[in-house]
Amino acid sequence: MKLRDIAYAREGDKTDLANICLFPHDEADWPLLQEKITAEVVAAKFAPVIKGTVTRYELPNLQGLNFVLTAALAGGNSRSLRVDGTGKSYASLMLDIEI
Amino acid sequence: MIRIGCGSAFERDRIDWPVRLADSGAVDHMAFDCLAERSMALNQLRKLEDPNAGYMQRLEKPAAGFDVRLPKIVEGFAPFVASGGTMVGNFGAANPEGAGAAVVDGLRAAGVSGVKVGVITGDDVMEQVVKQDLYLPEYDRRISEMTEKIVSANAYIGAEPVVEALRQGATFVLGGRLADPSPYVGPICFRNGWELDDWEKVGLATLAGHLLECGTHVTGGNFTDPPFNPVPDMMELGFPYAEVDDGRIVVSKTPGTGGLVSTKTVRLQIGYEIGDPAAYLTPDVTADFSQVAVRQVGEDRVEVTGASGRERPETLKVLVGLDLGWKVTVEMSYGGPGCVERAQFSAELLRARVEKALGDEILEWHTDLVGMSSLFGTAISRGYPAEVRMRVAARTASKAAAQTIFDEGDYLPISGPAAGGGRGAMTLARAIGVTPALLDRSNVPLHVEVLES
Repeated sequence: MKLRDIAYAREGDKTDLANICLFPHDEADWPLLQEKITAEVVAAKFAPVIKGTVTRYELPNLQGLNFVLTAALAGGNSRSLRVDGTGKSYASLMLDIEI
Repeated sequence: MIRIGCGSAFERDRIDWPVRLADSGAVDHMAFDCLAERSMALNQLRKLEDPNAGYMQRLEKPAAGFDVRLPKIVEGFAPFVASGGTMVGNFGAANPEGAGAAVVDGLRAAGVSGVKVGVITGDDVMEQVVKQDLYLPEYDRRISEMTEKIVSANAYIGAEPVVEALRQGATFVLGGRLADPSPYVGPICFRNGWELDDWEKVGLATLAGHLLECGTHVTGGNFTDPPFNPVPDMMELGFPYAEVDDGRIVVSKTPGTGGLVSTKTVRLQIGYEIGDPAAYLTPDVTADFSQVAVRQVGEDRVEVTGASGRERPETLKVLVGLDLGWKVTVEMSYGGPGCVERAQFSAELLRARVEKALGDEILEWHTDLVGMSSLFGTAISRGYPAEVRMRVAARTASKAAAQTIFDEGDYLPISGPAAGGGRGAMTLARAIGVTPALLDRSNVPLHVEVLES
């Protein structure tokens, strides 16, 4: 199944950094997210659109993961020539991951 | 306890919904974030722009360098201010003094007299940045290596001058590049009697600001993904407010409006635009959101606890604005059999034609096939599309070069491949770069002046 079936996400940007936070719809799926959605898995999914690295952080009481992607926005919103300069749509690419 | 609401989440945000919050009686303070990362540079350029320089997208005439909505904001919120409400925001952008005068004029015009207006200056650090020849890590260069490109340098400033203005009796406080949560942190700490070096409390106030500063982001906006995360009555999402007390934030929204405040909407906003949740850096504090917990305590009421903080950073983040030339986009749709090939051919033809005319005046070139690969490149692929939109975006050194590309786009329907339609609105605008640097806070003296309406 797709990650979208069990989780929801939001992307934010700071200059050329993107972050994507990810939470399970059902708290019972939290251990599964912790185990399966590693920084490596996210880096592989985003390889075609980012040039930098992926770091993962945890928000244990919220059952959430936060991923920070560097060199992720083609130079950042104001100068980027991309359609989606801030990368808001990245949340949907995250949810396309197979789990 | 303080009740503080969100009045604006960005520079072109709507005014009607937050006015409804201010007039609802649910809040006695409103805070406004009116700036995106590029806003300072754009406003600086607006100040400098030649009024006869021709057309710049969405800019019919040069603005004064502060929030263009300000007269309407003052008019809309005048009843709230007249009834004793407090407003704090970074309306000033590149011209806080001009914004202060506009607020005084606007309040007088609305018949609201005797209101003290606090004006914060000092965030413009262009001189300091040049003098110290700061290092720009994203570009791996020093300021002196890029002098001709630099149009602005503003330090993110914190709640200290806001509190100073409130202490002097101001109930309308504005500045330039106040950090996003700081218009909240100032009144929350001042009204609750919290010192600005009580890091745990400033951390809590910062989380409250972080939760509210994006407006409808916490009340059901950027949330529903049908059939997941349904949101009731999206016709009018309520603007958010919070009740902030010792150790506890309760987030809610304008009574009687649509949208929702749930543990899910609050979770997403806690995670928005953060890095390490244990070290969210602002001018006010090193906030720690890593142990935060949420609990639904009523309809559209979510309690947030567990925020903390440590000593604030000694350096301030500076955003340096760079003039990177001009940006132009050209779009055209192709459908049916062969549409992808025609769209690609169209983009290549356009490039060949303008390259012949412009050569190295084209600094950057980017081609998209919207409907196939414009958002995620090759990361998702779903077979041959029914239609595709060719989009070319280029950055050029001069406006004339951008205009040449713009014009070639105009010629494309009758001189390109078959059946290209829907040319749509092409864009031509300045390309602004923003990049961070760090400056010791001792180099950023701030000043508060209090005017009266």
